[in-house]
Amino acid sequence: MRVSLVSVKPMTRLRRRSNLIRLTISCLFCLVTLASSPARGEWGFDATGGFAYDDNLSNGFEAVDRKADTAAVVDLSAGLYEPIGGSSTLGLSLLAHGDAYFHYTGLDNVGLGARAQLRTKFGLGPRAPWLVIAAQGMYHDYQYRYQDGWQYEAGATLGTQLNERWLLRGFTRYDAYVASQTQPPLIPGMVGSPYDVYGWNLGAQTTFLATGVDRLSLSYTWRTGTVTSVTQPDAEILEYSDRAAPDPVFGSGGIAYRINANTQTIGIGWSHTLGQRTAVDFLYAYRWSQPQSDLGQYYANLISLTFTYSY
Amino acid sequence: MAALGRYLTLLACLVSASGAQAAKISALIFGADAKPLPNAVVVAVPEEGHPPPIGKVVEVVDQIDKEFVPYVKPIRAGSYVQFPNKDNIRHHVYSFSPAKIFELPLYKGTPSQPVLFDKPGVIKLGCNIHDWMIGYLYVAETPYFGKTAGDGRVDLDELPAGRYQVRVWHPRMEGSEDATVTRVDLEEATPAVVEWTLKLNPEYRPQRTPLPGEPGYR
Repeated sequence: MRVSLVSVKPMTRLRRRSNLIRLTISCLFCLVTLASSPARGEWGFDATGGFAYDDNLSNGFEAVDRKADTAAVVDLSAGLYEPIGGSSTLGLSLLAHGDAYFHYTGLDNVGLGARAQLRTKFGLGPRAPWLVIAAQGMYHDYQYRYQDGWQYEAGATLGTQLNERWLLRGFTRYDAYVASQTQPPLIPGMVGSPYDVYGWNLGAQTTFLATGVDRLSLSYTWRTGTVTSVTQPDAEILEYSDRAAPDPVFGSGGIAYRINANTQTIGIGWSHTLGQRTAVDFLYAYRWSQPQSDLGQYYANLISLTFTYSY
Repeated sequence: MAALGRYLTLLACLVSASGAQAAKISALIFGADAKPLPNAVVVAVPEEGHPPPIGKVVEVVDQIDKEFVPYVKPIRAGSYVQFPNKDNIRHHVYSFSPAKIFELPLYKGTPSQPVLFDKPGVIKLGCNIHDWMIGYLYVAETPYFGKTAGDGRVDLDELPAGRYQVRVWHPRMEGSEDATVTRVDLEEATPAVVEWTLKLNPEYRPQRTPLPGEPGYR
């Protein structure tokens, strides 16, 4: 199968910027509306910054396609959490995200979004089980414009403090990414939006308070859905994908393609509390994807070191 | 260095005690690391006679910046306690402790009625919204009690002469409070100095900062 790259006319930078500006204004309007409301809830602000390394950013299968890089990452969240009755809290928060890569700058992006959640605690005290139902959406503006789009998540988390040192939580979540633009077909009959992905996640996490200020965590997530990978033109791989498009982020001639896969991630983390509101976190995760086809396994090692301030 | 500080504190305690007119007990509490231990409650129970009756006493435990202030509050059995919320958010104060089970559902400001604590014992306080908020009420059966300051010292003043059983309690102490009981014969104008070294358990509280990607307690 011969693959030919097609040049397309992208959405203009100005138009993309105006989308982001409109979104920013909408978010600020929501924030001002919440601030001026008669609600008696609790304001919360979280800021996380640090570095994240991924040894397979491209989600490549062949060694030559595996691209590693480190990004400076920032996450901000500001919201209002309003108690409802005696055991539930409704939270509305605004989110901001940023990634700046050292090498593959096409993946640099900023994101703005919002999150709504309902948290219910079934009883009194720290050991009472709790349930959080949440949904969020965030618009990402990438340096490589064709990756721009909306990221959605909705799910539920059930947790309980087993004793004063052990916490256990389980979750289910649906995620989807919808790119703003579709490129013309790379191959006749193939849709040019490989960044549109979706999946169902099931997972569990346990946290152990090793000392009064050190938390160790172990997590596992199983996801079934679609994933995006980038490769050099490869007819065999493209036979298994339903969407593909040119992707120059990792070098000229690259092709992004989408396949169905089951992905598992296991993570271990260490969080050290520095003060009442600050902590430093280290996380290592190993992620592997098994395509729902004859293709081999994709895997990645992820490491992050971040600092969190929570008010 | 810690040992030197310990002896200096003991010396200061003896000097100040010898100059006193009324009988008193000066207590010094240290941790196993020889550092002075704050927030320890020292209680003196007379072996004879009856302590004077208590009138209506209203004590206060605040909630400030999502913490109970003070962290440890000794009170006498029969006292009332107000729990003013000085944050601009709501708190939900409760206790499961056998000496007093109570709940103050979500509120701001000061509840209209203080809570009566008429049974001696330790009461662990919590907030159902902010799980890391932990505080303690120590309800003593005697009017003779106090809490150590940052220098690990507390003076129990104005004690009638007589024989006392003196003991110490700390939220993180290993072992039981009863194991610390010591007898003190107190004569008029003759102060006594008692000293304990306590081994402490680590304190495990739910952490205030969320893990990355988690909304935390909210």
